[in-house]
Amino acid sequence: MSVPYLREAVKDGDSEKLIRFVRLHLGDGNENGGRKEIDKSWIEALKTLLHDQEPDRDFIEQTMQKDSSTLALLYFRLHFYFIRNSGEWIHDGSR
Amino acid sequence: MAAANLHPSKTTESPVDPRESGTQLRPGLWQTINERYPGSMITKSEFIPLARLAKPLKDSTVCLISSCGVHLKRDRPMEVAHPLGDFSFRRVPSDARQPDLIIHQLKYPHDDADVDINVIFPIERLQDLAAEGVIGGLTRNFFSFIGYNMDPERFEATVAEGIARAVDEEERADVALLAPA
Repeated sequence: MSVPYLREAVKDGDSEKLIRFVRLHLGDGNENGGRKEIDKSWIEALKTLLHDQEPDRDFIEQTMQKDSSTLALLYFRLHFYFIRNSGEWIHDGSR
Repeated sequence: MAAANLHPSKTTESPVDPRESGTQLRPGLWQTINERYPGSMITKSEFIPLARLAKPLKDSTVCLISSCGVHLKRDRPMEVAHPLGDFSFRRVPSDARQPDLIIHQLKYPHDDADVDINVIFPIERLQDLAAEGVIGGLTRNFFSFIGYNMDPERFEATVAEGIARAVDEEERADVALLAPA
């Protein structure tokens, strides 16, 4: 999906087009796979928090001061971080 | 050769997509891609003709350009998580060897390239050809980027033009070898 297509979807408030794109990206071209991948990363994040290790809250507070573009990319990065931790990798490329 | 002639049995079942007519695209590719990634297939109405070789290969300096995303291990990896793509490119010294290089990619399998980088980025084979005198030499740097991106116009203005300018003005290449991944 091209950027003009996505910007038009944002302008029209067409969330279906946007979430489909995200699922295709995270699912390596498979929409259902992407839906499962999103669930998987959240489950992995939850499992991590159940380990009782104290998070570095200062780091989080500092990071949250960054611009929204940086945080948005970090959000995608974190998705793949937790997917890697899950041990299940559906993508063609490198872990 | 037109796409219709490559797979006649398929094209008799459905008419040739006018967007594929006169191209070498696999029949149905346009529709297949656009079902998954609408708007990502583009056409250009103006083409820059390929330049003719100005001198023999044995006297020519060769540059390698690839969309495989390879880079030096010490360089910042390509941004593979970004949903719109990475609009940067990497310079790869032409004297680099397999142990110096790495591929970070999501969108294509590169297990074989991890074993032998030359299957996708034939840097050591070009070094051999230069040493044997088959080609005149290599530019100081080769170039690499990742092909996944959702903004062809931005890609052209940043990656394509950036590499083209570097190959011409910095590297003074006589020949550019393009290797898609």
